[in-house]
Amino acid sequence: MNLITGFQFLLAAGDAEGGHHEASPMAQFYGLMVLIAIVALVTFLFLGSAKKGLNTKFFSKTTTKLLEQLYVFIEGLAIGIIGPHGKKYIPMMMTFWLVIFVSNLVALLIHASPTSDIAFNLGMALIAVGYVQYEGMRSNGVVGHFSHFAGPKLPIAMAVFITPMIFLIEIVSETMKNVSLSLRLYGNIFGGGEAVVAMNKLGYNGDTFLLPVGDFLFPIKLLTCVVQALIFCLLFAVYLSLVTHHHEEGHDHESHGEAAPAH
Amino acid sequence: MLEQAPLALGLAAFGCAIGLGLIGFGAMNGMARQPEAIGKLQTAMLIALAFVELVFLLTVFVGLGSLKA
Amino acid sequence: MAFIAVGAILVAIGAFIVNSKSLKSVEDGVMNAVGLHIDFGKLIATIGMFTALFKIVEYFFLNPLFDAIDGRTKELEHTFGEAESLRTEMTQLKTDYEKRLTETEANAREQIQAQIKEAQDLKKELMADAQRKAEEYKQQAIAEIESEKRKALTDLRVHVTNLSLQATEKLLTENVDNDRNRRIIDDFLATVEVKN
Repeated sequence: MNLITGFQFLLAAGDAEGGHHEASPMAQFYGLMVLIAIVALVTFLFLGSAKKGLNTKFFSKTTTKLLEQLYVFIEGLAIGIIGPHGKKYIPMMMTFWLVIFVSNLVALLIHASPTSDIAFNLGMALIAVGYVQYEGMRSNGVVGHFSHFAGPKLPIAMAVFITPMIFLIEIVSETMKNVSLSLRLYGNIFGGGEAVVAMNKLGYNGDTFLLPVGDFLFPIKLLTCVVQALIFCLLFAVYLSLVTHHHEEGHDHESHGEAAPAH
Repeated sequence: MLEQAPLALGLAAFGCAIGLGLIGFGAMNGMARQPEAIGKLQTAMLIALAFVELVFLLTVFVGLGSLKA
Repeated sequence: MAFIAVGAILVAIGAFIVNSKSLKSVEDGVMNAVGLHIDFGKLIATIGMFTALFKIVEYFFLNPLFDAIDGRTKELEHTFGEAESLRTEMTQLKTDYEKRLTETEANAREQIQAQIKEAQDLKKELMADAQRKAEEYKQQAIAEIESEKRKALTDLRVHVTNLSLQATEKLLTENVDNDRNRRIIDDFLATVEVKN
């Protein structure tokens, strides 16, 4: 019963302005779940189709080729930004990319998607930044990770005043990473949908509908889909490189040879 | 307060557009001069674009909030 | 498995929070002021969903992809290595063959040179032999001619002597046959011969 309500919310979400106060919270929750289920279904269908074409010689299946392209792209991103030890973050980045991209595509078609929900985006951002903190603690140690926040070593007289300030600023900036990641995605996808709705109103002459002006934004929204997925992964990689770079600098030259030939 | 909020949003969009344009300008100059560095320049450009855009988005949300309040 | 269980539990907690509205006051207080309504139940459910999703996607789809790509890279390297070793082998064979060819050629040339030299030696020898024989024949011929000439001269002298004797016999008819006259004629003939 709740599922049906959720689906009704999903269908109504395109028309709902703001979309928060019309449906009951539980209906909204199920609406989000339905949207996530759609995204997961599309993603799993794509990945499953790609998985069938896997072999050790030559990928001739279209979806497999696409997935391989995505892998090569994300690998270039991970190795280019994080360094040779960035290979182990590739699965996470690929999952982020796929989920965000498919959600954005869903947003193009039905004017409602997980990524146009701020809670979903904030959840993703919290996972990303939380994972970054976890990785920082793992590679630098808990103390080393937090002393990294405290800035450079200073004479004791200055450190008493300045180090707490730097620490505070760093903590705020870590928090702002969440806000930055989530609001960017939310603003782009939700705002894109809103812009389409608003510009569609230009197509009315009195009460007669002439032209869907807003839907001509489709190409730029398609571009936004890719760019937002890319930027999320890019910033995730940049944050990771900031916390893991110092520790593994020494291994760079050793493992460089293995990382390079995949291109 | 309520009447000035759309104007404030417009001003924010104005500044953001200038910022984005400058980033694009610099990146394209760099790419034209050094086509072999396009990959790195694109990455840096996208990061910079994301940060400038974020400022605008923050303004939008704060402005919308004050519009609704 | 643990990740999926944690994810499911988090989703359930999120649903419970949404249903019970236990964090309603926090939600209304924090972000509504700036026009953003964050639903903490959805937030927690999303986190739970991603916790599970990462593991599922990685385990079921990405690991096979990485394995396939690694396998392909290995296979390519293997193929390249094989081709490289084959190439080295072929180069080796070619070098060997060329060396043998050069050797054979040099050998043949040497033999031809030796044969030519031998033939030339033989030719010189033969020619020298022929020349020597010709010289011999020539000498022999000259000697024969000489002896023939001498014989002819002797015959001629005898004949002339006889003729002179007969002529003188007829002219003188007297004491022609004595030795003194014959000697005189011989002397005369010798002077004649010397003149000749």
